[in-house]
Amino acid sequence: MPFINQFKAYLQQKIALTDEQFELISGGITVKTFAKNQVILSPGETSIKTYFVVEGLMRSYSMDSKGKIHIIQFAPEQWLLSERNSFFNQPSDFYIDTTEPVTALVIPRNFFMEASTHVPCIQDLNITMLNNSIRFMQKRINMLLSATAEERYLDFIKLYPNLTLRVPQWMIASYLGITPESLSRVRKDLAHKHFNK
Amino acid sequence: MENKIKSVFSILDAPQPHMVGDGFRVSNFFPGGYKIKMSPFFLLDYNAKVVLPPTDELRGVGVHPHRGFETVTIAYHGAVAHHDSAGNSGVIYPGDVQWMTAAGGILHKEYHEKEFSSKGGPFQMVQLWVNLPAKDKMSKPKYQAIAHKDLALAELKDNDGQVEVIAGSYNGVTGPATTFTPLHVYNAKIKAGKSAVFSFPATYNTGFLVIEGEISINGQDTAGGSQFVYFKNDGEEISVEATEDSLILILSGEPIQEPIAQYGPFLMNNQQEIKQAISDYNEGKFGYLE
Repeated sequence: MPFINQFKAYLQQKIALTDEQFELISGGITVKTFAKNQVILSPGETSIKTYFVVEGLMRSYSMDSKGKIHIIQFAPEQWLLSERNSFFNQPSDFYIDTTEPVTALVIPRNFFMEASTHVPCIQDLNITMLNNSIRFMQKRINMLLSATAEERYLDFIKLYPNLTLRVPQWMIASYLGITPESLSRVRKDLAHKHFNK
Repeated sequence: MENKIKSVFSILDAPQPHMVGDGFRVSNFFPGGYKIKMSPFFLLDYNAKVVLPPTDELRGVGVHPHRGFETVTIAYHGAVAHHDSAGNSGVIYPGDVQWMTAAGGILHKEYHEKEFSSKGGPFQMVQLWVNLPAKDKMSKPKYQAIAHKDLALAELKDNDGQVEVIAGSYNGVTGPATTFTPLHVYNAKIKAGKSAVFSFPATYNTGFLVIEGEISINGQDTAGGSQFVYFKNDGEEISVEATEDSLILILSGEPIQEPIAQYGPFLMNNQQEIKQAISDYNEGKFGYLE
């Protein structure tokens, strides 16, 4: 399947969109490949691109004054990733890089706006997706403020089931806002509860 | 009735090596490198001989799970230490074989053995994944540590060499490894200018990895170091003549005629079972290993 059809299928799951309509609106989308560990955006830069991951794994993160990495989001297959300061012409606070070799579709900033002239309901989809993104972030803030390490981990494996096989433990710990030792303890406790049961 | 020749389908060069963890630089002959039918063997990784410098660093592959198959590690040079969540641990030295049945699920890690690492030296290994039939995929994990001295030896005629039988049998000599489906794994050592004959049912998927030396197969094809000889399913008998002192890893087995679903370290029959494996791993049902 050509890569771009994955994005078509993604949209068609969410709204009534014909193949012909997709043809009309998809002209500005390009395919890009990145090597593993390639930095795509750094703090201070701007990028108005949104990435739709076809294959591989991207992440966004910040680095504190001690050089410690804090992972904001992972973007495996079928996830969208962008840096939103750039949308307001402000420099990025975050890095975006690849944790695996990546094939991604690059979606231009005005995609939804322009597409809505041909497919009006795509504007509603854009609003729904933005709302979902806010819900996701609100939940994430709440988890970081109030949930135990185990609760955070259990939520993580529901959201990203196969990432435990794709990234080292320290990255998961970084995303969860806990130490790698705490994550080990959580996994050990779960094994004690569930092994041979 | 005379056996028909099992003819060569192709002689395959070692694919470009890639790193597994930071300790193993392997060529994946299948399923990645070549799309060949080798069931019940699902994967063949070959770390061709390299001379490693001494190091104090621990090199290898950290804790990872497996479910639905067996891993078979065959050491030719160097030493690998391993630990698993069932409490097994040991060191695989040159000539040894570790036959680990991950089956229902195990966590393990594999590292260059400390003393070997500190001295450095030649390193050469094979890892095979042997698939399990659906009925045995969720059986209890087990582990066969087979020391070189415990391999079964079949001497070739006139002192032409010897066949170390790991699993299955050769000329009535049966190897120590027990398997879930019929298959044969041997290390065949044939002296220069000498020959040996191997016979497997036509339906068995068969391949030879040349570890050392150079061989002529059925008087027609030639294969050298790090090449894989892939056979057709058209006959039974294979004759091998060594043009140099040679060591060949011989694989032949009855195909498992079941659907395959693979994700990373899990080898199951369908996507639902893969999802279950991922979720069981995440939830600690494979146990714990530091």
